[in-house]
Amino acid sequence: MKIYICDGSLQSFFTAVFDAFGDESSIITSDNAIQLSLESEIIKVGFDREKAERVIRGIEKIDREAVQDISFALRSCDGLKEQTCLGYIRRIFERKRPVKKAYNFPEVTEFNDILYKVTGETHRLKGLLRFMESASGAYYAPYSPDNDITELLMPHFAERFKSEKFVIHDLKRKLAGMYDGHEWFIGYAGEAEVYLSEYEKAFETLWKKYYKAVNIKERPHEKQMKGSMPVRYWKYLPEKKD
Amino acid sequence: MIDIKKLEILTESAKYDVTCSSSGSKRANRAGGLGNGAAEGICHSFTPDGRCISLLKILMSNECVYDCEYCPNRRSADVPRARITPDEICELVINFYKRNYIEGLFLSSAVFETPDRTMELLTETVIKLRKVYNFNGYIHLKGIPHSDGALVMRAARLVDRMSYNVELPSESSLKLLAPQKSKQSLLLPMKNLKEAIIYDKENGVRRNRVLPAGQTTQMIIGASPESDGQILRLTEALYRNMNLKRVYYSSYIPVVKSNKLPAVGAGLLREHRLYQADWLIRFYGFDVSEICNKQENLAPEYDPKCAWALKNMHLFPVEINRAPLEVLLRVPGIGAKSAYKIVEARRFSQLGFDNLAKMRIVLKRAKHFITCKGKFYGADNFAQVKTSLLLDGRKEIDEQLTMFSSPDTALSALTGNI
Repeated sequence: MKIYICDGSLQSFFTAVFDAFGDESSIITSDNAIQLSLESEIIKVGFDREKAERVIRGIEKIDREAVQDISFALRSCDGLKEQTCLGYIRRIFERKRPVKKAYNFPEVTEFNDILYKVTGETHRLKGLLRFMESASGAYYAPYSPDNDITELLMPHFAERFKSEKFVIHDLKRKLAGMYDGHEWFIGYAGEAEVYLSEYEKAFETLWKKYYKAVNIKERPHEKQMKGSMPVRYWKYLPEKKD
Repeated sequence: MIDIKKLEILTESAKYDVTCSSSGSKRANRAGGLGNGAAEGICHSFTPDGRCISLLKILMSNECVYDCEYCPNRRSADVPRARITPDEICELVINFYKRNYIEGLFLSSAVFETPDRTMELLTETVIKLRKVYNFNGYIHLKGIPHSDGALVMRAARLVDRMSYNVELPSESSLKLLAPQKSKQSLLLPMKNLKEAIIYDKENGVRRNRVLPAGQTTQMIIGASPESDGQILRLTEALYRNMNLKRVYYSSYIPVVKSNKLPAVGAGLLREHRLYQADWLIRFYGFDVSEICNKQENLAPEYDPKCAWALKNMHLFPVEINRAPLEVLLRVPGIGAKSAYKIVEARRFSQLGFDNLAKMRIVLKRAKHFITCKGKFYGADNFAQVKTSLLLDGRKEIDEQLTMFSSPDTALSALTGNI
């Protein structure tokens, strides 16, 4: 059995798909800690532009949205994401038509599941991300999402904030999306020290008061609250912190 | 900066309004502006009662000249009162929005001084927010009955959604319980706004379009004697004639002692069943006359779709691989999403029960009403089907009841404002 280990980049994944496609038993992963069996053969995959582009063009000819869907799905924290995407790609080439809505194919359901986890978390964080105003006037939002979604959040907030500068900091992956009022980019960011503006505390206090006052305490339904707003996100929500 | 005590009073007074949705508007941001609309709507937090916070929901004032029987802010009530200025509201919205606490503003008010004066200050607030503070996020504004039409139209060109609460399901109940509001004072502005929305649409108006996210309304259930059949007919008429996006129901619970009001609440199950029927009308192609006769109430034992299907057993079972979408939508247990999934998936291959299970379509109820490739796995006779649905409905009722188990579910249902 051949195991293709790619470096986590999109190009390396599509290169591996090119190599692995002909052999049904092969596995693609970016997880270096994968459990190996005795008869497995390890192949490290770099980036071969021609191979990757042939795969991408082949998919695009059949389904124009699939490549973007796959790039989103590969942002998942799921350990089998490359394998799931490979299964999805195999179905696309087998059927020679878009298969996203073939809900009765298990490979499609698995793919849609991890895709939905990524897009779902992105949507959720559009609401649950919290910014703090720094002394310099820029807004700073630390978080640690399950999936690598900072790049997907940046366009949304850049459009909203327009001329305000902001930083979205993924503490888990040590990545930050930075917006200077015109353009955004993603870079490495370890720890950050932020000096808050003099108004920050006051607005945070008003928000906490609002949160408390708008609740109808005679009608408790914590289960629903936790279902919609899982506890792992509370760490960064001022209204839930203490 | 706004006084924290005032914020508390005016939030407490606004919290019973059911609406919080921020969907339906794609308002664009402008150079130098802040915010935009997200058509899908975004929830920013959830409170321990399970409700979402999308908008900053607040009253400008709770000092009311009206004396509506059911309202905690009515003139004769002894409660702390407060009023805030347009600038205080704007500053709060901008600063909450920049921290991503909220998606926008839901602004309402008790009627202070006169209806025109109240509407004037509400309008001034939205003008300031849009023009001075350059805010392009979502705004839902409550309409004040009996206020000047030109003023209302001016506000409507700046906000995303407006709502006039019909308050009660009939004119006679309105006369009895909210004597200072007339049916006309609620329906006329609603109709004017609807016509303005249609005009803008037909003429391709893009800038300052009237209410891109449309209108909604809310009514109290169980404070007055109307049947579910009557309520749903009113609902259907509001959807048809006023093009409303949503009708919200809130079940009455006695907080205010009055000999004109019932001593017991309507219960949340009734509210739940009305919402289910409302969904059938909007998304499932049902006509109200199929769901409920005029003088009838909805059956509490099972959901209205099951009730309809039990009366129409001659139409079932239907074959999953052939039935058109409209028919699939009428199968108990198959929701809109599942019906759509079935229609898409069967283009690829014939579906069996195992396929449906893998697609995570719940067959507990549906199995009595469908065949897959000709096979039927439901109960043998009508009595068994009925028993099985009743058991299922029983579970749903229990869930609803534990959900709102606290005895003084008090206050819960009051619309409160305006």
